Amino acid sequence: MSASTRVPLLSLQQISKRFGAVEALVGVDVEVHAHEVVALVGDNGAGKSTLAKIISGVLAPDSGIIEIDGEEHTIPSPSAAHTLGIATVFQDLALAGNLDVTSNIFLGRELTDGVLLDDGRMEQAARQILRDLTLRIPSVRTPLSELSAGQRQAVAIARTLIGSPRIVVLDEPTAALSVAQTAEVLTYIERLRDLGLGVILISHNMNDVRAVSDKIVVLRHGRNNGSFDASTASYESILAAITGATTLSENLLRHAASMR
Amino acid sequence: MSGSQSSLREANRALIVETVHRHGGLTQVELAGATGLSAATVSTIVKELLAAGVVDTRSTTRSGRRAQMVTLARRVGLAVGIHIGHRHMRIALGDVSHEVVAEQTLPLPHEHRMDTSLDRAALLIADLLERVGSSLDEVVGVGIGVPAPVDAATGMISVRGIMRGWDEVHIAHVLSKRLARPVFVDNDANLGALAESTLGASRGYRDSVYVRASYGTGAGIVLSGQLHRGFAGTAGEIGHVQVDPQGDICRCGSRGCLDTVVGAQALLEPLRASHGTMALRDVIQRALDGDPGCARVIADAGASIGAVVAGLAMAVNPQAVVVGGELAETGELLLGPLREAIRHRVLLNQIAPLEVVPAELGQRAEVIGGLELVLQSTDFVLRQDEPVRAMAGAVGDD
Repeated sequence: MSASTRVPLLSLQQISKRFGAVEALVGVDVEVHAHEVVALVGDNGAGKSTLAKIISGVLAPDSGIIEIDGEEHTIPSPSAAHTLGIATVFQDLALAGNLDVTSNIFLGRELTDGVLLDDGRMEQAARQILRDLTLRIPSVRTPLSELSAGQRQAVAIARTLIGSPRIVVLDEPTAALSVAQTAEVLTYIERLRDLGLGVILISHNMNDVRAVSDKIVVLRHGRNNGSFDASTASYESILAAITGATTLSENLLRHAASMR
Repeated sequence: MSGSQSSLREANRALIVETVHRHGGLTQVELAGATGLSAATVSTIVKELLAAGVVDTRSTTRSGRRAQMVTLARRVGLAVGIHIGHRHMRIALGDVSHEVVAEQTLPLPHEHRMDTSLDRAALLIADLLERVGSSLDEVVGVGIGVPAPVDAATGMISVRGIMRGWDEVHIAHVLSKRLARPVFVDNDANLGALAESTLGASRGYRDSVYVRASYGTGAGIVLSGQLHRGFAGTAGEIGHVQVDPQGDICRCGSRGCLDTVVGAQALLEPLRASHGTMALRDVIQRALDGDPGCARVIADAGASIGAVVAGLAMAVNPQAVVVGGELAETGELLLGPLREAIRHRVLLNQIAPLEVVPAELGQRAEVIGGLELVLQSTDFVLRQDEPVRAMAGAVGDD
């Protein structure tokens, strides 16, 4: 299989993280390639969000290796993650309701012409991003408070594309959205993938996860408990791995059999 | 004598309404052509229908000349078209003139569940109606296409195992209970055929075949302008014609069906060693970008599909074969070998060569077919409504 010979965009090897007596992550491996959506699924407290925070530079792992394009890196801060091409959309979105779409997209990374804000260039770039993602947002000058929850999620996703990242981490992007809004967000995730980005999708909704991801990585009590090809894996086998009805070794055997 | 004349007038009036209904919108000149009535008669009747509020007219241009476009008045209602595919659901709201007023696509998981998918379909309909400022009261019906043969009498999938978990389900019943609207179910290739033959590439032909090349393969047959479904709805199920007697067992239970050779899994498998794990969408995109391996897989699929379509073409002698579905987005990469394979096998006649053309409605063909199915099945939307009473009054005045 050539996928194993290709260098992954992001590779996490043997990541461990401990909060006092709590083992949040124990020797977790995850790989993300360009043009791939990898879903992280698991029960509450399985370590999904901890892993997302490590990738986005919010938390530092106690041990383990992080490789980007095959080179070892540390991600000490969110801005370091941004420099390395990793963008994250957290569950609370962190948008400003009183500002318009453009200002939100460029929040904290405003373009200037030396002294003053370069509104024209920002608006143009914002329009381009919305077009790339085929977002259904009436105008880049609309204040965020006038947008629906789905459109806000879309703006948060659009925002990650500033500075042309290569990896996008989405934490529960479809929680609290209506079906039509979920449909839009899932379509954007497909678009991100088609633009050649690596996407890490954290979600509880097995339906959404299986709809858009290529690979599903199951975490259980901070450990890997199976990895599935989303285009063939059944709902039951993923649920079994999440609940612990099957263990890693069984899943590996089945995976090896299906690869044969 | 006068009685027969007024009944003739009434018949002409019905003919014009029905023709506009079928095509969505036509200019008066085209109406005269389509109905065989004189331009003067058409003009008079359109004026009466306009006054009665049955049709709307607006100015348009046809080949550089001003013309009056006639459509049915919009207030007669909305139709919903749903296409449930293997990995996507597409929903469109359309009015009686076939104008799509809102649409939405939702990615679906591999082997998606019937209950979840129909539930999401119902919620999506409500969301879309809200988007256009309408409500369920305005909906005259819902047309659903599924990638499996459907028995028209019961609206249930007529062959077991093709859609896992959908076998015992009365799809129309489940949805109509939730929406309290009539629901019509059909095979997706049949809906594609319906759409292409009324509004798309085969609208000029009486006999045509629509081939849908997607995650699975299917065909819809139009004979003398009518969709031919067969007794149990399995007409045109070319995906389950045997092409390899030593091949794999298909989900339908037979061996070596066309779908086991050109279905999504079968197309992705030979690329795994050289290209890694891909989705069908990637193969299509990379084939278009000039990747020789992906292009080869598509071309070979075209040849395999063509060989089976040739058999169908011999049986029904269509004037045109229209090719749609995701694989058709590769254009001539698929169509070229498909056309070759058909031409090698069918009996060439001197009257008219068999045309093999791409679908005009693209990804939307099946949902538009769903809208069309509703509009056709609802017979005359107008009859239960205000405007027709007005029209009947106008007839009485004559």
